[in-house]
Amino acid sequence: MKLAWRELVRRPGRFAVAGVILTLIAILLMFLGGLLDGLIASSTGGLRAQQGDRIVYSDTSKDSLTRSRIEPDVRAEVEKAVGEGDVGGLGSVQLGARLPDRGPRDLVPVVLFGYELAPKGLPADPPASGTVYADTSLQAEGITKGMVLKLGPARTEVTVVGFTSDTQYSGQGTLWGSLDTWRTVVDANRPDAAVGDEVVQALVVRDAASAPATSAAIDEATGGATHTLTIDEAINALPGVAQQQATFNQIIGVTVVIAIVVVALFFALLTVERIGLYGVLKAIGASSRSLFAGVVLQAVVVTLTAAALGASAALVLDAVIPAGAIPFVALPARLISSVVYLLVAAVVGCAFSLRRVLKVDPAAAIGGSQ
Amino acid sequence: MFLALKEIKRAKVRFGLLMSAIGLLVFLILTQQALQDGLLTGFVGAIERQSAPVVVYSVDGQRTLQGSIVTPDLQQTIEGVDGVAAAGRIGQGTFTATIDGGDQIDVAIIGYDDPDLGAPDRLSAGRLPKTDAEAVGSSVDFSVGDEVAVVPPDSGTDPVTLTVVGLADDAQIQVTPTLFTPWAGYEAAVRASNPDATAVLPNAIGVRPKAGVTDQELVVRINDASGEADALTRQQAADEAPGVAQVRQSFQVIFLLYGLVVPLVTGLFFLIITFQKSASLTLLRAIGARSSTLVRSLLIQVFIVMGGGILIGVLLYAPLSQVELGAIALRFNLGAVVFWSSLLLALGLLSALASARRVLAIDPIEATVGGGGR
Repeated sequence: MKLAWRELVRRPGRFAVAGVILTLIAILLMFLGGLLDGLIASSTGGLRAQQGDRIVYSDTSKDSLTRSRIEPDVRAEVEKAVGEGDVGGLGSVQLGARLPDRGPRDLVPVVLFGYELAPKGLPADPPASGTVYADTSLQAEGITKGMVLKLGPARTEVTVVGFTSDTQYSGQGTLWGSLDTWRTVVDANRPDAAVGDEVVQALVVRDAASAPATSAAIDEATGGATHTLTIDEAINALPGVAQQQATFNQIIGVTVVIAIVVVALFFALLTVERIGLYGVLKAIGASSRSLFAGVVLQAVVVTLTAAALGASAALVLDAVIPAGAIPFVALPARLISSVVYLLVAAVVGCAFSLRRVLKVDPAAAIGGSQ
Repeated sequence: MFLALKEIKRAKVRFGLLMSAIGLLVFLILTQQALQDGLLTGFVGAIERQSAPVVVYSVDGQRTLQGSIVTPDLQQTIEGVDGVAAAGRIGQGTFTATIDGGDQIDVAIIGYDDPDLGAPDRLSAGRLPKTDAEAVGSSVDFSVGDEVAVVPPDSGTDPVTLTVVGLADDAQIQVTPTLFTPWAGYEAAVRASNPDATAVLPNAIGVRPKAGVTDQELVVRINDASGEADALTRQQAADEAPGVAQVRQSFQVIFLLYGLVVPLVTGLFFLIITFQKSASLTLLRAIGARSSTLVRSLLIQVFIVMGGGILIGVLLYAPLSQVELGAIALRFNLGAVVFWSSLLLALGLLSALASARRVLAIDPIEATVGGGGR
């Protein structure tokens, strides 16, 4: 072990190229993971922020908020089924927002949500009609508290009264207002999506403290007019979320396999180079276990260094990528899991050299040949 | 040649590992290239495929078809611009539908006034619709004869049914099965899915320029005529759709990183191999082998390893490129295979330069003093 450590300290150049390759692989892993996290975060925040347990869509909506319509009589059935739990309406519309002092073609894409049950970070009661809370991501666009935004072709005015965070939806910043505000904006700007007075797109359900109604019970109560999902199920049902996760995870998996092959290749070559040395060391009493431990130590140190550089690069990328460009976010959990994957790859890769270390014959070293 | 092959035969595991690593990298690069192409075609294929040479959104639409709403005033302004030969409404919505009474699926429906201003520009099968109840479908999702029923929210209402009479390749929008149908069919679908709809306005206006006016000139004239209009040529409308640039940028970063890893792994491998056998190489030089012979032998090995790796990668990619990942249809892209194979082969050979330099620097006299490495 000591010998392996000394080799690392005194001849770091030997490991430089392998370190560079592993650093690139680490950056790749963290970039791919960060891209996935960024995509998911920017498309699901509106649902993740819900302080409820379930979302009720209309049965024919295919769990799409914009296609879902809950009529008042269906809502009444849901409320009956939920009992002491809370039920709140939810609606959304995607529009362009005009900011004061900006060019007539310089719009900010936003999603306006109308709500009754407050999502995380918002006061219990929705703001007064014509006022909204904005997602903090919109601050990068120059939106400030007190600013009047003109939404859609009808230029419906809403005033920003505060901010909330991590509520992006469909890759866009969000505005949060009352159902009344939402209806006014939709009626004025999207006549094809207009809804009746008591109609909402979906219902957010907060389960009763005791004996909460299940999703199936709610759907049964409405005679199959609804499709109820837990919040997590609703997030996974968003278009592209499950597919993005599956595709990126497969790419990340193959990249980890490549890391294993690279580590295996590099340390197999190093081991071949040291066969004579290992023979001598075994002849003077070193065990195969200690020799292999030395190889693993070197692999782990090189990998940790590469992973640290990769993580630093990911953090720098996260800091320098302008808002609205690549949806990249460097989350601690992602960075840590990438480091763990790389370390596992390093140890597994080293195992390819184990057979060669075990086969080293000390007698051959004494005889001067291998 | 003999030496190069003999060495590969004797160290099968080492060379095999390298070949596998390169094969996996090539496979990943080609797969991601196919994924990028499939994703972009799925996002905006219908925009590229529709027949209007100029597409006019409202500025509010932010260059997304479904997000744009063209008011009657704006439509009138566009139609009155000097240089407009013909203009027609284009509408798009996403609906829940069934095919031949099967499971409910998402379907995007694009409605058009004039087949030359919004219908697909070419078909891979069948014909264009002749009635409002007919449609052309994206070829990866539909077959001619399919009965697509738009499911209304109220089970008591009759669904709007469209019969697929033609197919168009690469004609999806929002990575969703897509139908092109005359305006009345589209309007019926919107009203069926939302009985509260107070009006069905077009999402864009498809425009054809008069003879002597280019598409780009007409774009400028329309944008000058109204601050509410966002006119784009067909290609611009596809390239500048939100998300397209981000997808391209993200994949470019990924390609760059993978592209760097391949020559580095190859270069490192051959450098270490050359270092390990420097004593043998010195001896070979001492008994008369020329440097050029040894370098040639090295390059042959690089060529074999890279060629083998690329072959493994392409063989893995070929079956995968025939599948559909969710709604994304992948496709075997020969151009991408040729481009990446040539580039990676060239980079691999370049990466062996350091090893070649070491071979050229071998001094045969070292054989007489027992050294070899430098």
